[in-house]
Amino acid sequence: MASTTVQSENGLFSNPLFIRSLGWSNLWVMFAYLFNNFATFWGGLPGASFQSGTIGVLQMMLYPAAVFLAVTLTFNSPKTTLRQDSKRISNMNAFVIRAAFWMVVLLGCVDSIIAFLRVEDMLNNIIGETMGKNLGRSQFRGPYVHFPLMIIGVLLATRTKTLGFHWLALLILIGELLIVIFRFIFSYEQAFMSDLVRFWYGALFLFASAHTLLEEGHVRVDIVYAGLKEKSKGRVNAIGTISLGITLCWMIILTGMAQKTSIINSPILNFETTQSGFGLYLKYMMAGFLGIFAVSMMIQFVSYLMAAVADYRGEGGKYIPTGSGAH
Amino acid sequence: MELFFLFLLIVLMATALGFGYPVAFALPGASIITLVLAGVSGYLLTGDQGAFFSQGTAWTWLSSGNANLRGTYWEPERDTLIAIPLFIFMGIMLQRSKIAEDLLLTMANLFGPVRGGLGISVVFVGALLAATTGIVGATVVAMGLISLPAMLRNNYSQSLATGTIAASGTLGQIIPPSIVLIILADQLASAADQGSSIRKALHKQTTGEISMPSAFDVTSTSAGEMFLGAFIPGIVLVGLYMLYILVFAFLKPSAAPAVPYTGKYNRAFARKVFLSLVPPLLLIFLVLGSIMSGIATVNQAGAIGAAGALVMSGYRLTEGQKNSYYPAILALVSLFSIGFILANFDTNIKGMDTNRDQLGVALAVISTIGLVISLIWSGYRAFKIENTLNGVMMETAKTTSLVFIILLGAAILTAAFRAFGGEHLVKEFLDGLAGGFWSKFIIVMAVIFVLGFFLDFIEIAVVVVPIVAPILLADPGANVTAVWLGVMIGLNIQTSFLTPPFGFALFYLRGIAPAAVKTINMYKGVIPFIGLQIFAMVIVATSPSLVNYLPNRVALLSENSPPPRNPQLAYCVDQYVSNEIKANGDIIISGVEAARSIDLSILPNKIAKNTAKSFDNVSMAIEQLRSAEMISVKLKEASELFRPIHKSVRSTERNIRRHDAEIKNLNADIEDLEEGMSPSYYKEKITELEKEKKLLIKSIPVEWSDKLADFRALQAKEKSAYQQYTKYAQSAYQPIAEINLILEATTDFNMLRDDLMSSKAQVTNNEPADMVDPLNELGKRFSKVAGANNIKSAISKARRALKSRTPNKEKAQKELDKAISAYQKQEEWRTRGETYILPNLSKYESTMRKTIGIRDQAKLTKKQALFVAKCQSGYRDVSLNF
Repeated sequence: MASTTVQSENGLFSNPLFIRSLGWSNLWVMFAYLFNNFATFWGGLPGASFQSGTIGVLQMMLYPAAVFLAVTLTFNSPKTTLRQDSKRISNMNAFVIRAAFWMVVLLGCVDSIIAFLRVEDMLNNIIGETMGKNLGRSQFRGPYVHFPLMIIGVLLATRTKTLGFHWLALLILIGELLIVIFRFIFSYEQAFMSDLVRFWYGALFLFASAHTLLEEGHVRVDIVYAGLKEKSKGRVNAIGTISLGITLCWMIILTGMAQKTSIINSPILNFETTQSGFGLYLKYMMAGFLGIFAVSMMIQFVSYLMAAVADYRGEGGKYIPTGSGAH
Repeated sequence: MELFFLFLLIVLMATALGFGYPVAFALPGASIITLVLAGVSGYLLTGDQGAFFSQGTAWTWLSSGNANLRGTYWEPERDTLIAIPLFIFMGIMLQRSKIAEDLLLTMANLFGPVRGGLGISVVFVGALLAATTGIVGATVVAMGLISLPAMLRNNYSQSLATGTIAASGTLGQIIPPSIVLIILADQLASAADQGSSIRKALHKQTTGEISMPSAFDVTSTSAGEMFLGAFIPGIVLVGLYMLYILVFAFLKPSAAPAVPYTGKYNRAFARKVFLSLVPPLLLIFLVLGSIMSGIATVNQAGAIGAAGALVMSGYRLTEGQKNSYYPAILALVSLFSIGFILANFDTNIKGMDTNRDQLGVALAVISTIGLVISLIWSGYRAFKIENTLNGVMMETAKTTSLVFIILLGAAILTAAFRAFGGEHLVKEFLDGLAGGFWSKFIIVMAVIFVLGFFLDFIEIAVVVVPIVAPILLADPGANVTAVWLGVMIGLNIQTSFLTPPFGFALFYLRGIAPAAVKTINMYKGVIPFIGLQIFAMVIVATSPSLVNYLPNRVALLSENSPPPRNPQLAYCVDQYVSNEIKANGDIIISGVEAARSIDLSILPNKIAKNTAKSFDNVSMAIEQLRSAEMISVKLKEASELFRPIHKSVRSTERNIRRHDAEIKNLNADIEDLEEGMSPSYYKEKITELEKEKKLLIKSIPVEWSDKLADFRALQAKEKSAYQQYTKYAQSAYQPIAEINLILEATTDFNMLRDDLMSSKAQVTNNEPADMVDPLNELGKRFSKVAGANNIKSAISKARRALKSRTPNKEKAQKELDKAISAYQKQEEWRTRGETYILPNLSKYESTMRKTIGIRDQAKLTKKQALFVAKCQSGYRDVSLNF
């Protein structure tokens, strides 16, 4: 659909270039924040501020640079419609979620095997005592087992087409069913088994949220909404997304990552594990789920915002959810 | 200013919700905006970021909101929520593979020929299968699409048809295994914790004691208990619905005509009925039964249910093919053989000691492989045929996500509500109501009812319950259990969903009903069902045992039931004993007389003396119980006189505390005033409040403190009377139980004879170090024999003598001599005691154990447990203890 801009409209949503710039700026600033966060807490940089030397200032300058980049890119592609951009961003998000899905599948399986071998005292026989001891330390298992698996997860995501996350529903069922079988038939129960189910269950509902938004699956109080015209629906969704949805994502990202002790950063930096010792060593990853939730929702909200403004402007080519997601 | 921001929060939220932005983001979004605004304006106007919060700053509240988010999946405590995706998976699988539809159609064929039969089938199926999705809209739509055309085609009146469908669609919400109940249980468990601390604070405030007796504590809940509690009320509702349809059809046959079945009642029909009816029923019973019997956790039951649904879809999807039933048959065969193996072998994989065990484990592995193959086979079919598995997984993921993201959003809202002191405000308001618990309860229920017009079940459960439930649970007036509150809230919301013009269920049904169905007929149709709902609520409110009995019964009969000496059971256990004594007191007394004639002189002096003394204690205990009961009666009479004044004074005192709080606030405001501004307005207000406060203090009757002291003294007297009884009862029973155990162990004791006797010679012949372990082993075996402690300690001394750095054989032998002589002494009286004393004594012990000795049992017997479960199920007003 060509951008048949309705010039008679005034106000915030009249100019698609503005909305696209806003959306992309939001995303690039978020990526800059994530990069800074990584560079500061893992790379040991001073962190974005004007008080901590050149690098600090450079880190700070990433933000205006991100906005500049977003606006330039948008204005260099004036022909791109809101629908096209929305779809592009949504597809990008599908990749993020798919990568996260493959990561949690691989991490869950491999870590469970390690936990099983450890608790049954078989680990040392297979890979030797030093290695066995090392695998008992989360500071080792994180960088040398989990991180490579995560890279494999990303590679798998580039090679596959499935949405992915919905398989977690089946994986949870399998995990819980294994607990049932082992407990009731063989009287065998270990901490890592329920850890695994919890790990996948957290991932399921947090990773599924973005797709649920795309498919209009999140519940609305539709007493008024159901009777609105497409245009008004678009306005409600656009305003709501900017003021409520994106706000929520920023709040999770900021309060979760602002400091070393924040609730996303601190477990990850310490490779936090469960108390039981022989459970999975993945608890710190579950703090990361919240970050993935916020990031994936932010991306999806930006896509949703563009789609909503396109609805408001009466542009064609609206994405109609295929599933029976709408209750 | 807190009030202003609280108001702003509610306005923003209502606006966002009202325009229809998704609930999951409207709730947290509005909260975050308000928190940030309050922080920023506080900083700009007063220079203090936290000025407009009841405590903390915007950042701390946002962080705590974020921590609440993580809390939903971060710790194992909330693992029951994992059951939600599993039950959703089960429900959607049953729907997608058309098993639910089959069930309804077959039921309709079966019951159709009865007047009103089709309506009854709809209620039945709604109760059975709507349970799992948790979203009213989904169930009403599904039920409506399947059954409304059938009902209308068969000339059911529009109003009866729509009313039945709307009501049955909401029914699934409170019939287990509903995911709404899981969420309610999750919220109520934390509400009960908060309620408990409120009540403890109240107890400390009113009595001055530091710790509250656990008998007065708030009863919490879990998902399993919630399922049990909702079970009977759910059945009552189903029964009421069905009865109504039957009566209606009887009175007005044209509105609910019989639907004649056109096919033949032959073997094919019977087969169809069997195949579409039995498996889903079996599955539901398996799931509920495993929870109710306490075998499986709710999560495990969910996995069993989902797996069962998968197997069923495996044959339903391939209907008509020759090998259609193979995987299901394989699953059944595997399950039966597993059952058989479990009954006959010990299959603990870690404890394979004998060949038989190994055989058992091997067989179990084979059967398990069979089960797994059948699951994979079924799963493969579901994956291949019509992409069913993919669809189910996607639906499960989306539904789970929408439920949980609302849960997350509400967690942030709760943080914001607390930040502006909203919780405190609600508490103040509810506590200020006259009339105690029931007026609070009715107000809260009315608010929930109205909210039910706008919000779905899950939203209410996660937004309103955390705010009001702690206050209701903390009230000692009716001392309701969390389960009961949950069920009442469930019934209430369900009614709200049915109520025109806003009822949720009606909207959804309107959406799918053909235009020929008039809306006014739908309204007419649901009104009788609303009446039935209200009737059911009255029933449950007046007889809380309907809710509480089943969870109590299961808890008390389960493997890890609380022991009879648990103080929370004390009241009912004492009741049981007193009833027993009233009925069978003579038997106990005559038992004592018979026991007195036992010749105890065989036993060592000390034991004989203790035992003899215990006989006197029996009658003293009975006497003491009687006098304690007399005091209880007196206390009850005094309570009736004391209750009115207690109530009014406590209410006045609450009022005074409110005044104090307000004065404190005003003083704080004066401190915060900017320079140059006159505090006179505040000062005036303070004087006014002080004046009111003085009047209030004066309004407390003069005789109050005396009356309170008298009443407390009576309470203390009652308490100490029961304590005294417990003491007598214990000294009446414990010595008997002890000597009984000692004499019963005589056979074990005799078996150790040879080993002990030969040990001395072994010590002479062997190296000291080699004897350490055998002696240790011998000591351990003696320690397992009741009454042989002195022998054990002598052996241990011998062992230590050998183990020490300078092993001393002589000393060891000396100790062993001691052990042997002690053994011989015991052997003599044990053997005689076993023949002459034990038979009579054990008879006596067993009569005593069930009454006087009840507290020393490891767990209650079935009869006792049932009595206590019943006794614990009612309301018990404990407010006079506060």
